[in-house]
Amino acid sequence: MLIDLLGVVALFFGLFFCAVGVLGVIRMPDSLTRLHASGKVATLGLFGLLLGAALLMPSSSLRLLALGLFVLLTSPVATHAIAASVYRRREIVDELMEMQAEPETPAEPEAPIAVDVTAVLSRSRIQDIIEAQQRALQSHTRDDE
Amino acid sequence: MIESAIAQTAIRLVLLGLVIVLIPASYRVVVGETLPDRLQAVDLITTLLIGIIVMLALVEGTEVFVDMAVALAAFAFIGTISIARYISEGRTF
Repeated sequence: MLIDLLGVVALFFGLFFCAVGVLGVIRMPDSLTRLHASGKVATLGLFGLLLGAALLMPSSSLRLLALGLFVLLTSPVATHAIAASVYRRREIVDELMEMQAEPETPAEPEAPIAVDVTAVLSRSRIQDIIEAQQRALQSHTRDDE
Repeated sequence: MIESAIAQTAIRLVLLGLVIVLIPASYRVVVGETLPDRLQAVDLITTLLIGIIVMLALVEGTEVFVDMAVALAAFAFIGTISIARYISEGRTF
């Protein structure tokens, strides 16, 4: 009976951290901070649920332990890969901004780079690039005068 | 099966809470500003699904569902890694 009670407490602990992690993923302002919030679901939330399940159903505790170890191994690797992709995207966007802002190469409004990137970049980033492009064009014409 | 009625009710409550939590998690998949955001939200949903499958194993009292959860975790890991590498490097492997 006491073990059942402990298991129920662990289940609600896991549910609480799952809810908090999802709330963080919705509310956080940045990609990397969202990754930080979703890491809590994979470790604390899922581990609470697995611990509660192991306490409530002791016959399957070995399988639950194996599942927990597997998640403990794979979840940081997946999070690291997503963070690396976020970082690489920012690098690409910065390179594009520098390329567009250079006064030596006066960028036409229909630059081929902007067309290539449309499939990958989000709408706000494309807006940023177009604005930087227009700013570069204006400064270039001003220098000519 | 678990005998005590309180534990059964608590398990069903937690299962209901996990299913409800899935709905706001899918918000980030639809709205997500960039591609990594959507990928991360899908990864989060898969983690929640693993928890839901474990809860289902508790409700039904069948241990085979835990093996299903292990298989889902393995496939989700492979999918996340390959899509993340596709975003960052332009190729999967």
